[in-house]
Amino acid sequence: MNLIGTSINHHTATIEQREALHLSKNEMTEFIGLLRNNLLSDGFVISTCNRTEIFGLPIDNNLDISKIQDALLSYKHVDGLSNKNFLNFFSCGAVKHLFSVTSGIDSLILGDSQIHGQMKDAFQLSVDMNFAGTIMRRIFDTATRVGKRSITETEIGEGAVSVSYAAIQVVEKIFANLQNRSAIVIGAGETGELAALHLKDKGIGKIAIANRTLIRAEELARKVQGEIVPFENLHELLHNFDIVISATSAPGVILNYDEVKTIVKKRRGNPVCLMDLALPRDIDPAVAKLDGVFYNDIDTLGKIIDMNIRKREKEIPAVEAIILEEMQNLFSWYNTLEVIPTIKKIRDFFEEIRQEEIDKIKHKVHEEDIKKLDDMTKRLVGRLLHNPTIRLRQIAESGLNYQEVANYTSVISNLFNPEQVDEEINSN
Amino acid sequence: MLETIHILNYLLPLLYVAVFAVYLTDFYKDKPALHNIKRIFLFVTLIIHTIYLVLWTIHFDHPPITTKFEIFSVLAFSIGFSYFLIELSTDIRATGTFILAISIIFQVISTLFIEDVIDVPEVLKNRLLGLHVISALCGYTGVTISAVYALLFTVQYKRIKLNQFGLVFNRLPSLELLEKLAVSSIMVGFALLTIAILIGTIWLPSAFPNFSYLDPKLLATGVVWLFYGAGLIVRFTTGLYGKKFMTYSIAGFIIAMISLGITGIIGSTFHQFSK
Repeated sequence: MNLIGTSINHHTATIEQREALHLSKNEMTEFIGLLRNNLLSDGFVISTCNRTEIFGLPIDNNLDISKIQDALLSYKHVDGLSNKNFLNFFSCGAVKHLFSVTSGIDSLILGDSQIHGQMKDAFQLSVDMNFAGTIMRRIFDTATRVGKRSITETEIGEGAVSVSYAAIQVVEKIFANLQNRSAIVIGAGETGELAALHLKDKGIGKIAIANRTLIRAEELARKVQGEIVPFENLHELLHNFDIVISATSAPGVILNYDEVKTIVKKRRGNPVCLMDLALPRDIDPAVAKLDGVFYNDIDTLGKIIDMNIRKREKEIPAVEAIILEEMQNLFSWYNTLEVIPTIKKIRDFFEEIRQEEIDKIKHKVHEEDIKKLDDMTKRLVGRLLHNPTIRLRQIAESGLNYQEVANYTSVISNLFNPEQVDEEINSN
Repeated sequence: MLETIHILNYLLPLLYVAVFAVYLTDFYKDKPALHNIKRIFLFVTLIIHTIYLVLWTIHFDHPPITTKFEIFSVLAFSIGFSYFLIELSTDIRATGTFILAISIIFQVISTLFIEDVIDVPEVLKNRLLGLHVISALCGYTGVTISAVYALLFTVQYKRIKLNQFGLVFNRLPSLELLEKLAVSSIMVGFALLTIAILIGTIWLPSAFPNFSYLDPKLLATGVVWLFYGAGLIVRFTTGLYGKKFMTYSIAGFIIAMISLGITGIIGSTFHQFSK
């Protein structure tokens, strides 16, 4: 398989460089047009915040892969990047890398499932632009299957690996059903937004947003269908919430020990969960000593993240086994593509000879006998070719050894050489 | 039949240990393949235990509630069966290890010391006595299970407070769920103890000539009943939640065990049915 791939990702470039090369959907459409005209017959382009990768089947088998990289660099007009920032992949290596990406084991956050959706979109764009033939589609399908199997058959995507999600994991160990609970997110920045979205995904009963800038609070509240708590009234209303997630950029503590103590008293023994996702911290860590208060900051939540990453790392061999299995299946299928034309050619050749011989005696025997002869010769040709056909398919499907398949195909073609025999017959 | 009873008597602790081992393995490994296997193991063990109790009743012409070692076997079954129902109804599978450990203790003691009691006083074959003992046993099963859940609550509470997010944190259910299970178990246990005390108060004076309201076992059960009753009233009136109530539940269980232990040692009671 002459699949080639080139990648610039978190292993080879800084976030600024990756950002500079990021392609929007419109840009991708335009760039695929460029590739199709000069370099690749089929392929696809994926561009996320952590990687931009191009895979495809070259128009010219001797294509220098740096031409694809140059095309990207000149399309995006990026300075300070060169071919050295790219990783190159060929044939098996390209397939393996693609599968590693879809399975999440090549992601910046190990096991990140976001990549599945991004890959799917990239594949779809290629299909929509008629930039994906039979081989490319088969590669897409297998890559998608690798992604799905990695999630369902291994634990590569299990456990929280972000502070906001780790906070929700702790909350779920305190409250059984979030539908009966209320939460407030203080701070509408990126972390606060993520936490609010996670809470919404988990079906939180009631969610409120408090932020110094009202517009941002309104924006986030709209996203999570929550209500707004005015920042200035925060302390008076805080006891109404079972879960408090604070992620502001305030320079100091916004919730001190005495204030939390008052909240606990007002809650009459009902536990309260305080998740401080801010740096510097928003809540006085001394509140952790209070009975019925569950307090966590980014340091303690970091323990959960470390633990989950270690668990995910242990799943890499299982994912690699899936990748290997799917690669074998893909290459088995691909190798049969090489032998199918040969099988067809030989079968047509035998059929032609049979037909010619039948035609020769057609007018010499009775019509009923011709029918019997026709059936018998068909069976004869079928039986003679059965074993070679099956064997050739088996060799093709048996592994990744392309050379072996090519040798067998070549031997059969040379032994029978239908074209040459045809020519000789015609000349005689 | 006697031989079968004896074989089953020795088989039961082994079965409970096997069930416990499967639950423990699943607690550590959390493999989906084990989720149903362990439930099947427990189900089969409970079926065999039921057969044992039925055979015993048929052969000796009285239910196995006349000596404390007979009662221990019923208690082991009752705890295992109650847990089975809890697991089926809540689908919480990670707490079985801790509850079934108690079944093992009771069954092992029963297996080692149980005797073939054929002649029992006619009064002990009375159905009301059976109802009285069974409801008391189920009541104590309830408070025992509640104590285990309360203990697990305390462990999980500490794990979260001390930010120890290891195996126990991951496997045990949420605090709210553990508290709910503990409280539900107390309520069921308390209701059954109430029934046992009511039957005892009404029927026992006519059945036993030497009956006394100052009997140590009656007094001990009364203290346990009052303790749990007071706890439940305080919980539902003033809101005794979380760690405080769980500590109260554990304390109740300790009181129950100590009082039963003391009355067992004192021994001079009409409640001591066999010699």
